[in-house]
Amino acid sequence: MAENTMQAMPPVRPPRGLSRDAVVRLLTLPGVIVSLVVLVLPLLVALYMSFTDWSPRSSSFFEAGFVGFDNYSELTVYDTRFLYAVLRTLCIAAVCLSLEFAIGLGLAVLFLREFRGKSLLFSAFLSPMMILPVVVGYTFWMLFQSNGPINQMVELCFGPGSSPEWFRSAPLAVLAVIITEVWHWTPLFFLILLSGLNAVPENPVRAAVILGASPRQVFWRVVMPMLKPVIVVAFVIRTMEIIKLFDEVYMLTRGGPGSATETISLYIYKLAFNDFQLAYGAAAAFLVLLGCLLLIHLLLSPVRDQLLKGGR
Amino acid sequence: MHAKKLSPLLAVVMGLALAVTLFPVFWIVMTAIKPPTDWNASPAIWIPSEPTHINFLTLFDPEAIGAYGVGGVSQSATKAVWGSVRASIIATALSVSIGLLSAIGITRYGNGSKIAPLVILSGRMFPPAAIAVPFVIIFSNVGLTDSYVGLIAIYAAATLPFSTWMLKSFVEDLPREVEEAAMIDGRSRLMAHLTVTIPLIRGGIFATTLFIFILNWSEFMFSLVLSYTNISTIPVQLARYVTATAGTLYGVQAALAVLAMVPLMLMGYLIQSHLARGMTFGAIKQ
Amino acid sequence: MSKPKLELVALRKDYADGSVPAVDGIDLAVQPGETLALLGPSGCGKSTTLNMIVGLESPTSGDIQIDGRSILGVPAGKRNVGMVFQDYAVFTSMTVRKNLAFGLEIRKMPKAEIDRAVHEVAELLGMADRLDARARDLGGSELQRVAIGRTLATRPALLLLDEPLSNLEYAARLAMRRELRRLQQEIGLTIIYVTHDQIEALSLADRIAVMRAGKILQVEQTTTIYDTPDHVFVASFLGSPPMNLLRGNLEAHGQGMLFRIGQFRLQLPPPRPGMAMPRGVTLGVRPESLQVVPAEAAPLVGQVLLAEPRGPEVVLTVESAAVQLKAIAPSHGRPEEGSLVGLAVDPASLVFFSNDTSHRMELC
Repeated sequence: MAENTMQAMPPVRPPRGLSRDAVVRLLTLPGVIVSLVVLVLPLLVALYMSFTDWSPRSSSFFEAGFVGFDNYSELTVYDTRFLYAVLRTLCIAAVCLSLEFAIGLGLAVLFLREFRGKSLLFSAFLSPMMILPVVVGYTFWMLFQSNGPINQMVELCFGPGSSPEWFRSAPLAVLAVIITEVWHWTPLFFLILLSGLNAVPENPVRAAVILGASPRQVFWRVVMPMLKPVIVVAFVIRTMEIIKLFDEVYMLTRGGPGSATETISLYIYKLAFNDFQLAYGAAAAFLVLLGCLLLIHLLLSPVRDQLLKGGR
Repeated sequence: MHAKKLSPLLAVVMGLALAVTLFPVFWIVMTAIKPPTDWNASPAIWIPSEPTHINFLTLFDPEAIGAYGVGGVSQSATKAVWGSVRASIIATALSVSIGLLSAIGITRYGNGSKIAPLVILSGRMFPPAAIAVPFVIIFSNVGLTDSYVGLIAIYAAATLPFSTWMLKSFVEDLPREVEEAAMIDGRSRLMAHLTVTIPLIRGGIFATTLFIFILNWSEFMFSLVLSYTNISTIPVQLARYVTATAGTLYGVQAALAVLAMVPLMLMGYLIQSHLARGMTFGAIKQ
Repeated sequence: MSKPKLELVALRKDYADGSVPAVDGIDLAVQPGETLALLGPSGCGKSTTLNMIVGLESPTSGDIQIDGRSILGVPAGKRNVGMVFQDYAVFTSMTVRKNLAFGLEIRKMPKAEIDRAVHEVAELLGMADRLDARARDLGGSELQRVAIGRTLATRPALLLLDEPLSNLEYAARLAMRRELRRLQQEIGLTIIYVTHDQIEALSLADRIAVMRAGKILQVEQTTTIYDTPDHVFVASFLGSPPMNLLRGNLEAHGQGMLFRIGQFRLQLPPPRPGMAMPRGVTLGVRPESLQVVPAEAAPLVGQVLLAEPRGPEVVLTVESAAVQLKAIAPSHGRPEEGSLVGLAVDPASLVFFSNDTSHRMELC
């Protein structure tokens, strides 16, 4: 009898070896452990620390005094340097993302047509994003030197004596950071938008053409709405990265002149590792995290359904 | 489709964009082969009159540049290069193997949670300067500061979300039936994954490995705050050339930059069709 | 007869790689209010023809005329030709209403008129209550309705349907087929309907044009093309199962002719007056024209190799002297597989094709 049942439905027989649960644990446990120990635990330590007044110069970590929300209120109410760093980072992010999006989209649209040498040019245009941020920062630091090639070209265009000192003027230093960042990461927008454009189905576009839409109307009314999820993904990822902007600025200006190019990350870095105000820095970091979560939530909300439903 | 010529206007636009894209790369390579007299000449020299490899030699033998009458190179970059190679390779291996297990686990046995990616994304948003703070504390208590073990642990953990999600997107492309067929043939669950799944996505594993290596090799802040005297990486050494000698060693620094950049660009071109997938956590497949 | 709605004159499309032309000089006239089906296997040039009519591709040579005027200089979108795609191509990011209004908004029609037109079309397609649904939430047949409605709203002079039902499930396909028939009758549109499904063509079209390798082999009324295909390919493409096509020799025999393939023989009446008897010929007979009769005294006797039931009828594969024939018999009282049966055929239902040209000849 038992034998008959077994023969009747062989596919239901569970595979040999470890049970399903054991395999699941074996597969996921390493990742979970690493995440807990190396990501969650430090995060909790930092969270606790942000409610203390600990500094490595004052006392041992375990004897630090609990100060409640003092660090947070200090940051949000009195610390104008922090607030400026936040605003500055957001401004840089807004300008950079707009430029990167516009240029990336323009290039991607150019790459929709066929032309000779297309694949070679495609690789060439991707080059900047493959270079280490530190190298990019150093390279542009050289390019922006007062006797560097950028100033040579400025003089060529606007006459002798017109070349500026990029790192001595606050607005120019910010501009230098923006130019560097745009050069470095426009390829990512180009890449993401191009793969999005290539995935746009052909027939809706043809249908719109037949219904009388001009190329412009086809692009804005039919193609762009289909591209929206891809655009949002690109913006979310770049926003995350740019809010952490550190390497290039560190190499270019160290935040200077004064604190004219100080980003959030650079400010926290200086707090923690130049001034040893570790607790205060941690509080700043959590504020930033909170703000980021809110920002990402807002960015994602119009396309969340599409993103979660789409594909898988 | 047949290759056509671009219209003159578009060709000019394309040419300009190309020039802007490639000029900084050109500049750093040129600087790396300039003799010391050309480094910071005014007006700037675009193409060195006498190309030299002295800058590259100086990286590993600080005295070499003395032939040009330049002194005061404080450190050899040997330690930094080996540090980067060692930390990046081991951390990449760890990140990809753990990520591979997780990717299979999540894809094949996950409860289909769609929130997890958002949580991981949030983790990536946390400013690394702030993550570095607790690490400095924890590491100083367990004696891992200024050690490769600590650095590798952080590198591996920091890139784990990328490797997991990129590999997950490759596992998802593989039909479940392939593994189920192996199980019905009498292989155990684990063996089915090891002997069927992994060989079938080896292309994806290769791309992920290079991608994670690029991330680790590029990392700057953690190594900046965790390295004092025992360890070093190329990005840290690159930053130190500026501080140590007040920015006078342009050529040597550029040589190190080129050394750091070239292998990465080669790897990048090799996996360029997977870059979008990697950067977007597998959300965009090419 | 009134002027044709659409006329294709020696239309030809070559591709740049210089291989065989996609469309090889076709002439076709479509009358107002007519539904013409372009039927053919995939890659025969049907879709290229549609693309040229609608303006997505330009012909290498030849002319396309609507109401007697050439439209070659008119860009796509201004030709007043509508097109519906196999994969619907609905704008998924918009609502149904926005989809239906799309063409009219492009034409800058006043808002009130757009509303009226959208409601009219939605009513016609039974989608009035779905106007505010998002297109990406719709099912297949609803999507196809939106696609058709979006085109109808612009009141095209000519509607092109490119395999509009192929992506639908069976039941939805039947329902949509009825729907299309109703629309045809209610609006009296001129329609060109591309399909590779001959049943669809037979049930929807007034006339059928069969294409192969860029050429139109035959254009004929739906009712007659089935019985008198002009070309061996047309005969083999229409009908399920297709016409039995037997390639053999003819010899004079008594009063008439004898058709033979090896041991297989069939007595035929004499050729028509004035027709010379060719040596070789391809004989075509529809499976439903072969009657199953008792084996004794039947003109053809064979063994049933296969009996495939199809509901009310059964398709028999009968082998007679090494020649296999398909025949259709009523389901009840059908012969067993392996049994011997006789087949009778009315000579009037036979068609003959020249072995040299593959074209039909009026032999008997």
